[in-house]
Amino acid sequence: MKKIFLFIAIAFSVVTNAQVTKVSLQASGLTCSMCSNSINKALKTLDFVDKVEADIKKYTFEISFKSNSTVDFEMIKKKVEGAGFTVSGFVASIVFNNVQVTNNQPINIGDKIFYFVNAGGQSVNGVKEIKIIDKGFVSLKEFKSNPYPNSSPHTYHATL
Amino acid sequence: MKQSLFIVILFLSLPGKGQELFSATEPASNIAAGSIGFRLDNSIMNEINSSKINYHLIPEVIIGVSKKLMIQGNLFFSNRNKNFAAEGGSLYAKYRFLSHDAVQRHFRMAVFGRVSYNNSDIHQEEINMYGHNSGYEAGAVATQLLRRVALSTSLTFLNALDNGNNNKFPYGSKNNQAINSTLSIGRLMFPKEYRSYKQTNINLMVEFLTQVNTGSGKYYFDIAPSVQMIFNSQSRVDIGYRNELSGTLLRTAPNGFFIRLEHTFFNAFK
Repeated sequence: MKKIFLFIAIAFSVVTNAQVTKVSLQASGLTCSMCSNSINKALKTLDFVDKVEADIKKYTFEISFKSNSTVDFEMIKKKVEGAGFTVSGFVASIVFNNVQVTNNQPINIGDKIFYFVNAGGQSVNGVKEIKIIDKGFVSLKEFKSNPYPNSSPHTYHATL
Repeated sequence: MKQSLFIVILFLSLPGKGQELFSATEPASNIAAGSIGFRLDNSIMNEINSSKINYHLIPEVIIGVSKKLMIQGNLFFSNRNKNFAAEGGSLYAKYRFLSHDAVQRHFRMAVFGRVSYNNSDIHQEEINMYGHNSGYEAGAVATQLLRRVALSTSLTFLNALDNGNNNKFPYGSKNNQAINSTLSIGRLMFPKEYRSYKQTNINLMVEFLTQVNTGSGKYYFDIAPSVQMIFNSQSRVDIGYRNELSGTLLRTAPNGFFIRLEHTFFNAFK
């Protein structure tokens, strides 16, 4: 009986062939270029990262990934925190293949599960930028105004 | 006193962005986790009532253990007692327990402690765990980074013990403790606009450092302005001058130049 329920649950969750092409990250708690450089170098040590383009003026980092690699959002956030700073913005570019996106329905993308909070039940196709809004991926001020429950590993709340 | 206040106000009104890597003190931030820094601290101090120059050389290793914890180890060399000799060393740790970050700003607090050993003889009432006295110190520091200004303040409790080589602390068991307090202000002057990591950063700092001996009540009040250059967003040179503004503590060589060189290897270990 349990196995049937599990099968049905899997069948009803939406599986996609989408993948993360890049992440645009903004860091907070810093002003100087040496601080920015410590984040830049820390991000480059991640084995799934291909290139990091830093905009020192805007405190943003455009991260592109090696093809066929699993992008670990938690590890990216941990690298910024290890350097001594925090993530204030995290936008991932994801390729969607005609995925039906409804509010608060889990969408599986690779090894991650996303819950979109502003979706209108539309079909999503092509490269879309999604903003992660969980704690640690937005500023504390922003999180407090919209506190989503603590996620399980690899589960994220996002806006389209 | 009025002159120093004027300098501070003038400094604060200059346009620019904040910088909080201070020269004479440590801010509440640490170096990145997994990074190793090497520092060479040089002090060229004028001995009071003499033409002699007291030269102190302190090489240091800094390790970023985690995002919250940093440890440092250093060795003390100086020429105060006739020849240039090794006099001891210290171990230092700083733990950042609070960090509120926003874009281009942060408020951080940390606690720190140092254990020092020095084998040279003591001929000043000032207690200094960074190249003069054996003993320990513990304190807390708070740093505020804003777009234009970085401000840091610290409070440290110091306890001097007898130095090595039978050099006892000569001012009595009631006068071997002190409280240090500091106020540091820093400002990023150049570049006016960030374009690349290769641009040289120039920061101006002014720091106020005081000590009050809890036994005798004697004190000193110093000012330490400095210029800091950061090369390649990885190496750092600080050049400053420390000067006693007022004080009643007996000090051998309170005034002089300091030059500090530092290089950080990011992601040196996992």
